[in-house]
Amino acid sequence: MKISPLELLLLEMSSGFYLGAFLLYLSELILSRPTRVPWAPVTAGVGGVLFQSLAIFIRFGFQGHVALLSLREVISFFSWTLVLAFLYLEHQKKVRILGLFIFAIAFLSTLLVIGISFHAPLFATKAPIGFLLSLHTILIDLGLASAALSFIVALLYLLLDFFLRRKIFNRFFSRMPSLETLDQLNTNFNGLGFVFLTTGLIFAMIWSWKKFGSTIPHASQGRLAFMGALFVWVAYAATVLLRWSRRFRGKQAAYLSISGFLIFAATMFALVFFSKGSHFIL
Amino acid sequence: MIKITLAGVNHKSAPVDVREKIAYPKEHLSPAVRILSREENVLECLILSTCNRVEILTITSNIHPDPDFFTSFLSRTHPALSSIPIRPHLYYKTDTEAVEHLYEVTASLDSMIVGEPQITGQVKEAFETCRQENTIGPYLNQIFQRAISTAKRVRSETAISHLPVSISYAACQLARKIFQDMSNKSVLLLGGGEMAQLTARHMKKMGVRSLTVMTRDPEKGKLLAAEYEASYAAMELLEETMAESDMVVCSTGAETYLLTVPVMEKAMERRDFRPLFLIDIAVPRNIDPEISRLSNTFLYNIDDLKSVVESNQKEREMETYAAREIVRQEIAQFQKRRAERSAVPLIQALRRHTEKLQQSEFDRFSRTLESLPEDTRKQVMILAQSLVNKMLHPTYQTLRNSSNLEEAWEWISRCYGLSPELLSQDNSSREEGGSADNKSSALDPARPDFPLPGEQSC
Repeated sequence: MKISPLELLLLEMSSGFYLGAFLLYLSELILSRPTRVPWAPVTAGVGGVLFQSLAIFIRFGFQGHVALLSLREVISFFSWTLVLAFLYLEHQKKVRILGLFIFAIAFLSTLLVIGISFHAPLFATKAPIGFLLSLHTILIDLGLASAALSFIVALLYLLLDFFLRRKIFNRFFSRMPSLETLDQLNTNFNGLGFVFLTTGLIFAMIWSWKKFGSTIPHASQGRLAFMGALFVWVAYAATVLLRWSRRFRGKQAAYLSISGFLIFAATMFALVFFSKGSHFIL
Repeated sequence: MIKITLAGVNHKSAPVDVREKIAYPKEHLSPAVRILSREENVLECLILSTCNRVEILTITSNIHPDPDFFTSFLSRTHPALSSIPIRPHLYYKTDTEAVEHLYEVTASLDSMIVGEPQITGQVKEAFETCRQENTIGPYLNQIFQRAISTAKRVRSETAISHLPVSISYAACQLARKIFQDMSNKSVLLLGGGEMAQLTARHMKKMGVRSLTVMTRDPEKGKLLAAEYEASYAAMELLEETMAESDMVVCSTGAETYLLTVPVMEKAMERRDFRPLFLIDIAVPRNIDPEISRLSNTFLYNIDDLKSVVESNQKEREMETYAAREIVRQEIAQFQKRRAERSAVPLIQALRRHTEKLQQSEFDRFSRTLESLPEDTRKQVMILAQSLVNKMLHPTYQTLRNSSNLEEAWEWISRCYGLSPELLSQDNSSREEGGSADNKSSALDPARPDFPLPGEQSC
């Protein structure tokens, strides 16, 4: 099935808007004086997310079900979720510096999606995947986005901690929110990611039980996916549980979030490359 | 033509022993302004007196008061000054230069600490004092309104005032980089040094939940606690108090470390490893620098805070370029408005001349006009008026935009055959009729019954 030219055009437009938002946030960081149009980067981000929403809905309509099976679909949905989460955060907490990273990721993601669309424009469509699997894919993708946000916030935390300890007072430092804000965001995204991951896996197990009469798939590729998911879940559960320990505050919590996301992302990529199309379509 | 003149003494031009003699105490400012306003030719005046400067701004008619006028005024209002030669310390600026200087002063570009916010308030206060003494008229009013709005622009469009340049305030700004909400944070003031008190005062302003004072001398500590609405704790309770505090400001006279790594490790354990901000302003230091290696503790000593201040000062200096650009834009606007206002009497004179011509032509053709029906006669008169307005409009524009009014007027006089007395007639007729305020200058706004030419529909 070919990718609709309209979808491609919308993705290109959203990519342009994300680039614009990124450049505007970057200019805020580089220029010393306060911007005269503080709303401009957010507006560009909103423009980008609107075009990408249309592209995603067209994709879903084109496929006839929640289409998060191929790498390009997952990446597109992932960047869309990131931008939406950031826009909400920007409205609530005014963590503007996050915009620089989110829109860089969103721009590169949409560019990658467009690239994949050009190089691998065809893939065999399958029958609609049903409600349970749709929920599974959406929740796992949301979980990945939460883990990514937690990862970015944790990196910012470590950077600010480094600046404060080394007494480096540059423009990047002056634009950063407080350590406490970053720690709080880290905790929230981690918790949210864990909830999405757990419920996403539960829906996958229910689907497997309904279809095969067992929550553990028999096929080797399915088992690989299951083992990967279990590994991620255990690792993520450990990071969330460790955070409750009073010793794992601030810096230690940031390290945990970084490792949690890396395990999550690595497993997702392993599934893409090793499940031979049973779980993901490249 | 009105003249704007400014003379003054500031921290750059005079040492403190001269400045302190020239400064007007608050209660002496009003009488001094009253005396100045009674001087010959002074239409409007203002005196700005702060710890770093005394500036006198006057609006006069046709002539700039010379520097001696200001030195003599200062000597008369400050008898103690007679022994000090003021002239070498006095700076003297006129017209656009004077206004530019005032804009820079109000925007805190001429301050000892560039970007400090107090000066704008002091300028407003001086303006208010002079306004109450009726020494402020339309010119100074307009100049000061623009000065205040320029200061606002500088403050909002540059980062000149965003970065703290005092050690105590820098400490508070750093606290904001660690903590999100200050309303649930506790501060421990260890020792009663002046700098620590200043920091505590800033933190109180930031809205911290509680402040605890701990000193070796209980009497002094209790007094301090009462002054800052804080609680007092004895030195023996240091570990317990540390467990509950989020920020510690240390400034005691002790010659050894009061807070050591083992003490801090215990305290961190008790406080569940929540972040702790430690400020050591004491010399010799009271907090072991090794503490900064502990996780979630952030230690800053006096040198660290000084480096914050220095880096902020450099940033502020960089911002002055952007700020001066804003001042330049505002000055360009001021010059444009001034040129427009200066052209008003000339435009009025030209208009009176054409009206006179128009009237004489109507008189010449009165018989013919009277023979016309009423409506037609009115239309002819409107036509004539409209024709004159349309023909004169480019001339008005030339006068308004002219950088050299005298040359433009000479050229226009030749073109229209205007007599040189036309302007003086205008002034004399106004002096005869306008007795309400004999200080009104030739460049006053047009009288309400005499609309500005060119503002009418042509």
